[in-house]
Amino acid sequence: MTYEEIGKELIELLGLKGSPVAVKLARTPADVPAGYEKVTKKERHCQFVQDARLKGLTGYVTRAEHLCKGGAAVMGIEPSPDLVADGTTYQKLGNFKTVEGAVETVHAIPKLDETYFASVYAPLDKAAFEPDVVVFVVTPRQALRLSQAYLHVSGGRIASDYSGIQSLCADAVVAVKQRGVPNMTLGCNGSRKYSGIAEDEVILGFPPKDLGAMVEALRTFKQKWG
Amino acid sequence: MVKTVKALGIRAPNAGILVGNILRNLEVPGEEVRFIVSPGAEAGMDAVARKSGYSVEVTPLGKDLEIRMTPSGKTLEEIDVTGETCPGPVILVGERLSSLAAGERLKVKSTSPDTLADITAAITAAGSLVLGQGTEGDRHFITIEKAEKKEKTGEPGVPVNRDRVLVVQSNGTGNAERAYATFIFAKVAVSMGKKVTVFLLMDGVSIARKGSAAGVKHPAFARLDLLMDEMVKAGVTIYACENSAAFRGITEKDLAPGVKLAGAATYIQLLSDPSYAVVNF
Repeated sequence: MTYEEIGKELIELLGLKGSPVAVKLARTPADVPAGYEKVTKKERHCQFVQDARLKGLTGYVTRAEHLCKGGAAVMGIEPSPDLVADGTTYQKLGNFKTVEGAVETVHAIPKLDETYFASVYAPLDKAAFEPDVVVFVVTPRQALRLSQAYLHVSGGRIASDYSGIQSLCADAVVAVKQRGVPNMTLGCNGSRKYSGIAEDEVILGFPPKDLGAMVEALRTFKQKWG
Repeated sequence: MVKTVKALGIRAPNAGILVGNILRNLEVPGEEVRFIVSPGAEAGMDAVARKSGYSVEVTPLGKDLEIRMTPSGKTLEEIDVTGETCPGPVILVGERLSSLAAGERLKVKSTSPDTLADITAAITAAGSLVLGQGTEGDRHFITIEKAEKKEKTGEPGVPVNRDRVLVVQSNGTGNAERAYATFIFAKVAVSMGKKVTVFLLMDGVSIARKGSAAGVKHPAFARLDLLMDEMVKAGVTIYACENSAAFRGITEKDLAPGVKLAGAATYIQLLSDPSYAVVNF
C-alpha cells in the first residue's frame, strides 16, 4: 500500500478529524523532499502538526521558524536553551516543586543527539517522502482502535511514557523515531494552549512501517465490530 | 554496529514492556541493543531478554544504567591473559579487538591488575572504551567496548592525533636486548592500531643486512629475523639509513626482505612530523 492509500483508509476506517501527519527530520537541505517549500510563518512544532492535520500544510521548517525552542531542541534542530536544559524554565512555570524534579524530568525526555536541518510535515495521504514518524491526534476511542490494530498481529502490550512537557515533539516524534515502537502522550501545556488540540483528543506516534498491517487490522475490526 | 536506545525515566514493569517491544520490532532482527535507562528499570529485564532470545547485562553508566541485550548464542567474548608477560597481553587483546566490530565487547581477565592497567592504557589510546571492571575469584577483569578512533580536525590550536610511532634503532645486532626491543615495541604499537616505522641508523643498520638478524635468538623470544618478517607483513615500514649502510659496505642488494634505504631527509621528515611518537633503542 502507498502512504496515500494508507492515509485515506485510516481516515475512513477510524472516522478521523483531519489526517494522520507524516513527519520527517531532514539532516541537511538535500534531505528535504524535492518540491517541498519552506514554511514562512513562525509557529511551534505542535502547531505545524495541527496545520498539516487540519489544513493540509505541506512543507519544511528550519530553526528560524520554530518558536518552541525546547521542542526544536529535542528534535536536534537547535541546541537546548540553557534554562530549559537545567530545569529552570519548567520549575518556574510551575510544573515541578523543585529544580531537582525538573532536572530529573528534562534528563529523561527523549532527545536526538544528532543535528537536523529541518522538520518536514505533510498529511500522510499527500506525503511525497518516507516519514520518520506518523502522528495521530485522535479521540480516546480512536486511540483504542489504533492500539488494538497495532497489537493485532503479534499481541503483547503497549508501553507509553510522557511527562506532560515537550509532548508532540519528544513523546510523539523523537521517542518513536529512536525506539521504532509507538508512543502515546497527552499533550503539554504548550500544545494544548497553542495548537488547538481539543479537550477530548490524545496524541500517538507510530512507526510508518507498522501502518499497512494496522489498516488490515482495522478492516477486520470494522467487519467484526462495525 | 550496536543500536543504542535511550529510555530514561521509565520504571519497571513499563520499561520491560517497552524494551520487549523494541526488541521485537527491530529493523535488523536479532541486532544487539544497548538501552540507557534509569535505575528502577532493570527489574524483570532477564525475563524480557529470555523471552526475546537475548541475554542481558546491566552495568552502571553514571547516574543511569546500561542494559545490554545480546542475542543468545552471541556471548560476550572473553580472554584470560594470566601468566602472559609484557608485551604479550597487549598484543593478544589488540589482536582480539581487531576481529570485533565497533560496539562489540571483550572481557579481559588477569590475576594482575597492573597488566589490566597496561591494557587499559593501550586500548583507550586506540580509541576503545573500558566500560567496567571488577573481580571474579582470583581474577581481575575489565570489559572493553571496541570503538573507532575519532580523528582530530587539524584546526589551528587543536593537537593532531599522535597515531604513528617511529622506532629509531642505532645499536644493531651487537646489543640483542635493544634489537629485540625495537621490534617488540613495534609489535605492541601495531596491536594498538598505530602506524609504525622503524629507522635503522649507525650500527643499527647491521640488522638490515640480509641474514644478520637470523643470528640473534633469545630463549624467551622468536628469532629476530622472524620477528622482523612478522612486522614487515603487519605493514611496518623499515628504513635503513643510506649513509650508515654505505659506511658499512651495505648496498641495496644486501638488505633483508622488506627493508628499504632512506636518506637523511626522510629521517628528518619523520622526526618533524608531529603525528609520530619517537622511541629510541
